[in-house]
Amino acid sequence: MFNIEFSGEFAAFFVFSAIMISGAVLMISLDKVVHMVVSMAAAFLGLAGMFVLLEAEFVAFVQVLIYAGAVSILMIFGIMMTKHQQGEREPVKPLHETLAAVGTLCLFGLLFYAIRSTAFPEPQPFQAAEDNTMAIGQLLYTGYVIPFELLSVLLTVAFIGAIVLAKKEAD
Amino acid sequence: MPPWLNESLTWGNALVLFLWAVVFLFIVLGFVTYAIYFERKVIGWMQQRVGPNRVGPLGLFQTVADIFKLLIKEDTIPSKADRLLFIIAPALAYIPAFSVLAVLPYTQNLYFADLNVGLLYYVALSGISTLGIVLGGWASNNKYALLGGMRSAAQMISYEVPLVISVVGVILLSGSLNLRDIVAAQDGGWFWNWNFLPQIIGFVVFVIAAVSELNRTPFDLPEAESELVAGYHVEYSGFRFAFFMLSEYVYVYAIAALTTVLFLGGWHAPVPFLDFVPGIVWFLLKFAFIVFFLFWIRATFPRIRVDQLMGLGWKVLLPVSLLNIFLTAAYLELFIKR
Repeated sequence: MFNIEFSGEFAAFFVFSAIMISGAVLMISLDKVVHMVVSMAAAFLGLAGMFVLLEAEFVAFVQVLIYAGAVSILMIFGIMMTKHQQGEREPVKPLHETLAAVGTLCLFGLLFYAIRSTAFPEPQPFQAAEDNTMAIGQLLYTGYVIPFELLSVLLTVAFIGAIVLAKKEAD
Repeated sequence: MPPWLNESLTWGNALVLFLWAVVFLFIVLGFVTYAIYFERKVIGWMQQRVGPNRVGPLGLFQTVADIFKLLIKEDTIPSKADRLLFIIAPALAYIPAFSVLAVLPYTQNLYFADLNVGLLYYVALSGISTLGIVLGGWASNNKYALLGGMRSAAQMISYEVPLVISVVGVILLSGSLNLRDIVAAQDGGWFWNWNFLPQIIGFVVFVIAAVSELNRTPFDLPEAESELVAGYHVEYSGFRFAFFMLSEYVYVYAIAALTTVLFLGGWHAPVPFLDFVPGIVWFLLKFAFIVFFLFWIRATFPRIRVDQLMGLGWKVLLPVSLLNIFLTAAYLELFIKR
């Protein structure tokens, strides 16, 4: 079942998954909102590391730039601006929690079994593009130019909408 | 460096690379020590003062003594502070500052990493430092620190946008995000082949945005002494405070090297008949000039007001840098068909 060869790549994969999973778990279980954002940033960084392992450097560093950098800072910024009292913890419901734990374990078992028992096609030796940043750019402006432009329009609409909404609040 | 980078990673190679990183760390620490000394000296001279001259000959050991003082100081953590974040914030500010240095090429053969998205790597990681600063300000649980942290976040986010957009022109001209290729694309023999003349708009925007990213005068609002005591690091002392200062000066190093690489032709000589001088000398000369330029600005400019700061970033620098991209693209399309 565990036919894994121990290489540097595997070690890095393990470290990044540990960062991502612990970041995600802490994000849900911590009490203070700022701590949550920090652990979420850790999960984003782990994800960026995964992209590096997959030889997608461009996506990896855009991930760091946009998510770990800009989004996290904006969230912290928003949180600091607002007053937040530490909410009291919800009362413990033993039956509910036990059922949730059993359900989660079952789901995990199911997924794990399904993944391990699937016969994946023999992976072709992966040949990354010589310069995958350039490859992404060329694809974006040739084959995918219309989806790309539509996305830009969508973002502009969202942007203008946000300004209009904020203006209405201010008046 | 290059032969080691392309070999497979064995324990021996890992050790060699690690030792190189340690050597480099000490070089950077040496730079920071004497950058602080020269900053104080140069600003002193410009303001008709003497500058530090007590410790050692010509005051050369002043910074060493200051650092020693910082390290033996009592390390205080305010009791109301968020302990965990207070401790990790300086590390979070410093680690990206040192990591971005990895992609900077010094000469044809002296570089530490050959990354095809080098420029993006630099920009992405330097954003993480802001996170450290904001968290440091928030975790101190002090209103001045919080204000400093907030200002810093607002400023660094607003100026990162024009900074990134202003270098797009350089990327268009050289057709690569790899910093080594960017330098190689500026090789024409003469200094007008360097990017700072063809990309003069981008260069000006880049320098202004870079000074602002560094939180230095005239954009030093996050740590404006007269308004905020010291800004985000007001509650920090000793070792942790030293880390914040250190990351600030490591970014001075990084920005000076990046400007040299992007706009001043890296290791290329300004005129062809000076080619016999080794590239590292040219690199260091340009680098030293940028560092001096930063000190010079600091000695001569007053601080900008906080409302003008945001206006300058979003209403002036951003449109100008967008215009620069448009002009560069139009030029490449009309005159240099590829």
